[in-house]
Amino acid sequence: MIHNTKCECGHQNHIGTVLCEACGKPLREDMQSQEPLEMRYDGVARRSQKSNPNIIDRVWNFFSSVKIAVYLIIITLLGSILGTLLPQENTFIRGNPADYYGPNHGWFGELYYQLGFSRTYESWWFITLLVMIGTSLVICSLDRVLPLYRALSKQQIRKHLSFITRQKVVYTRELDVPGEDFARDMEAQLKRRHYRVHREGDALLAEKNRFSRWGPYINHIGLIIFLLAVLARSIPGWYMDEYVTVPEGEAVAIENTNYYIKNEKFTVDYYTDEELPDHLQGQLRPKLYKTQAVLYECTANCNDLVEEPVLEEVKRHDIIVNSPLSYKGLHAYQFDFDDTPKLAAVQPSLINKETGENYGSFELRMINPELNYKVGPYELELRSQYMEFAIGEDGNPTSLSRDPNAPAFFFIIKGPGLSEKGETYLYFPRQVDKQRFSQDQINRHISDRLELSVGSMEGVTFAGATSFLNIRVDTAMPYVWVGAAISMIGLIMGFYWNHRRIWLRVDNGKLSLGAHTNKNWYGMRSDVASAFKKMGIEVDPKSLDNGGKNS
Amino acid sequence: MNWVEFSSDAFIAAFFLYCFGFMFYVIAVAGKKWSNRDPELHVKRWARIAYIVSALGLLAHLTFFFTRWIGSGQIPTSNMYEFMTFLGMAIMIAFIIVNAIYRKPVLGMFSLPLVVLIVAYASVFPQEVQPLVPALNSIWLKVHVTTAALGEAFFAVAFAAGLMYLLRVVDFKGTGKKARRAQRWVEFTLYVIVVIIAFIATVFIFRGMGYQASFTQELVNIDSRGVETTTVQEVDYGMPPIFKPYNSEVVEMESFLGMSKPLFETPSWMEGVNAGRKLNTIVWSILIGSLLYGLLRLALRKPLGAVIHPLMDGIDPDDLDEITYRAIAIGFPVFTLGALIFAMIWANIAWSRFWGWDPKEVWALITWLFYSAYLHLRLSRGWQGAPSAWLAVIGFVIVMFTLIGVNLVISGLHSYAGVS
Repeated sequence: MIHNTKCECGHQNHIGTVLCEACGKPLREDMQSQEPLEMRYDGVARRSQKSNPNIIDRVWNFFSSVKIAVYLIIITLLGSILGTLLPQENTFIRGNPADYYGPNHGWFGELYYQLGFSRTYESWWFITLLVMIGTSLVICSLDRVLPLYRALSKQQIRKHLSFITRQKVVYTRELDVPGEDFARDMEAQLKRRHYRVHREGDALLAEKNRFSRWGPYINHIGLIIFLLAVLARSIPGWYMDEYVTVPEGEAVAIENTNYYIKNEKFTVDYYTDEELPDHLQGQLRPKLYKTQAVLYECTANCNDLVEEPVLEEVKRHDIIVNSPLSYKGLHAYQFDFDDTPKLAAVQPSLINKETGENYGSFELRMINPELNYKVGPYELELRSQYMEFAIGEDGNPTSLSRDPNAPAFFFIIKGPGLSEKGETYLYFPRQVDKQRFSQDQINRHISDRLELSVGSMEGVTFAGATSFLNIRVDTAMPYVWVGAAISMIGLIMGFYWNHRRIWLRVDNGKLSLGAHTNKNWYGMRSDVASAFKKMGIEVDPKSLDNGGKNS
Repeated sequence: MNWVEFSSDAFIAAFFLYCFGFMFYVIAVAGKKWSNRDPELHVKRWARIAYIVSALGLLAHLTFFFTRWIGSGQIPTSNMYEFMTFLGMAIMIAFIIVNAIYRKPVLGMFSLPLVVLIVAYASVFPQEVQPLVPALNSIWLKVHVTTAALGEAFFAVAFAAGLMYLLRVVDFKGTGKKARRAQRWVEFTLYVIVVIIAFIATVFIFRGMGYQASFTQELVNIDSRGVETTTVQEVDYGMPPIFKPYNSEVVEMESFLGMSKPLFETPSWMEGVNAGRKLNTIVWSILIGSLLYGLLRLALRKPLGAVIHPLMDGIDPDDLDEITYRAIAIGFPVFTLGALIFAMIWANIAWSRFWGWDPKEVWALITWLFYSAYLHLRLSRGWQGAPSAWLAVIGFVIVMFTLIGVNLVISGLHSYAGVS
């Protein structure tokens, strides 16, 4: 397809130009009909309309197509729907998601999980779609905005007659006044309607709200900033969304940072019965819960397994819902708490079952217990520990969680009357677990001779309430808001104002008027009709419509 | 009389004014063919009467809104009843704005029944004032909900105009493949509207009769540790149970037309909150709706579309096409601001994250993506007219699913609203 790109008015156009950039004459043979003109981007050549495209041009051309953009939007839309079919994995804070989908939703849940739809919005294909939409936004905009800017900034006033009479809003008639007088009157009328008017004898160009043409592109810039801000979360250190479990009185390291957070004291107030409506009487409803937290920064021995880290206090804050501890972009939010009593330590005694002799007792902590104990003539070596004891699928003992819900300790006991290598002993501090897992059965080779047991409640200490904190870092947040604001400004510019232009020329006493707007033809027609009315020409606005599409 | 009671009266007044407004718009549009009158004068006169009555309806509706706000001490947008009535009000506002630009009585003939339908639907839900969780009581919640509803209201007006366009241009005498398909889909859309009317009517009829049935349902839940827990809950029905809840026993059931025990059990894979009751309600609505539709067809001896089509004579389809596009173009920035940006600000305050892929959030995004696709398609050839009108209809279905369907089918942070 080779077109002569030089127009009869003498202007040399770029390849792909639909309407001459100077006079507006339609350049293609197939456009020599009387149909209204395709006025998109003022008929300028887009960058993508190059002859002999190379590989980069081809990629550019792919992303510059609005059709591709619409496809991308539709695919993203359908993908998003998929992600709402079942709860996403990020809604579970604890537990293994794999055990949720199959058991609760049957084969569909299992398939959903296996195909990765349980993490739709973090999946590679979803992120890829977002990146492609971003690319499309950049390229579509650049492809059009630069030629459009060029075309709009140097407009010719006297347009080709066929350009004017093939607009969507057209009016022609014979004049009984000189052309220049008519154009001058029209200029005054249109100025009154806030048009910027350029007149050249009996030809006229009136224009208003050109800035609204930039609305879509400003909107796209905002969206790009927004998308980049969201994608910037994958830059190391920019984004974190972790949950930490902090028992009262303990300091816990925040993973991937140099910070430690301590729960000095946790308090919870419950509603009293007087404060509750009838149907909630007798229920425990927390009114306010608060973690008195201290944030430490580690200054030395941070990842050392042997040495204690050196901590320096940097911030102290009472965390309640909606009042996080914030320090240098790191926020710790109150997420949840658990104030059911949990074992902290027990003080078991070693007892000779045959004689009833008590060899003495030792302190056994649930968290970080000592590995070796000496009780009377006996030595106890802690081999392994289970916080929530269970027998796994492979038949071996395992721990279901890291909370001391059903703690068990596996000892090797050495001493008088026992074999050289020592004897194994599994100890459940809680009486319930001792019966449930038949401690005496497991230890039967030794259980009629020795026993570990806690004599009274004095031998048991409970931990304070545990606070669950949500630790967040989101450095990209300001850019998210800036992007959203720019996008909104662009939308308002583009949708609440319309770029309207009117061209007029008089040839041998015959008036030809054409008008174009990017949106709202109704308003365009009534602008023209009311200007005419002021000049004593009655026109039904609807009769100005020359057919063709609305956009 | 306190403020809240007064507001209920204002609400009833608004409802009837809307009904009359609708009737007068029908007279304005349909009556121009009546004999012994000047058609133009007739339309002008009755359109004005209809407009004034509708505007009075909006005034009464605004009175309801503000007196209830004063009476309850919180903005009435916090449960399904309050939100749907607000949406109805927002559609009226959007209609008034679009009508101020285009002044087409036929727009009122389609927007007002939509408002009536949504207001009636709202009344299905419990109407008592429910206290708001204090942590959620923020200015941004009010701003977010109201702005989002206003944006959606413009989409609703676009839906009305799009449906009008279709009723105007679809060839109801055509026997070609394309004409047939268009007729079928328009007819299906009208059938769905009849079913929704039937739903509202059915709820009120059984409520008026005081019908009740209740069941105990055993729910088995397996948590992420593999631990099974069984809970027993009581489920109350307001309609005779065609479908009883899954795994449930009848506690009490009034016999209805000889039906003394439930006919079927809800399948186990329907797991939403109160899935059984919802399924039962839907089945009843479809039954009654189909019956109603069948009676209408018998009485009219024509498809409903073919009955409405002649009323649209003389209306310029290009105008309707432009109104559809214009309403979406006005609504889109409002929707973006309310349903996405304000929602993000609010979410950032309430849940300390601006976006969490909660189903409701995702569906708001889906709505936004759909209308963005629409706006881009409008730029291309071949997407004006009928295809664009269909998109406006589908878009509003997505809006309604986001508002109601998500709450009924999927649970999430916004699930406060799902009742009945």
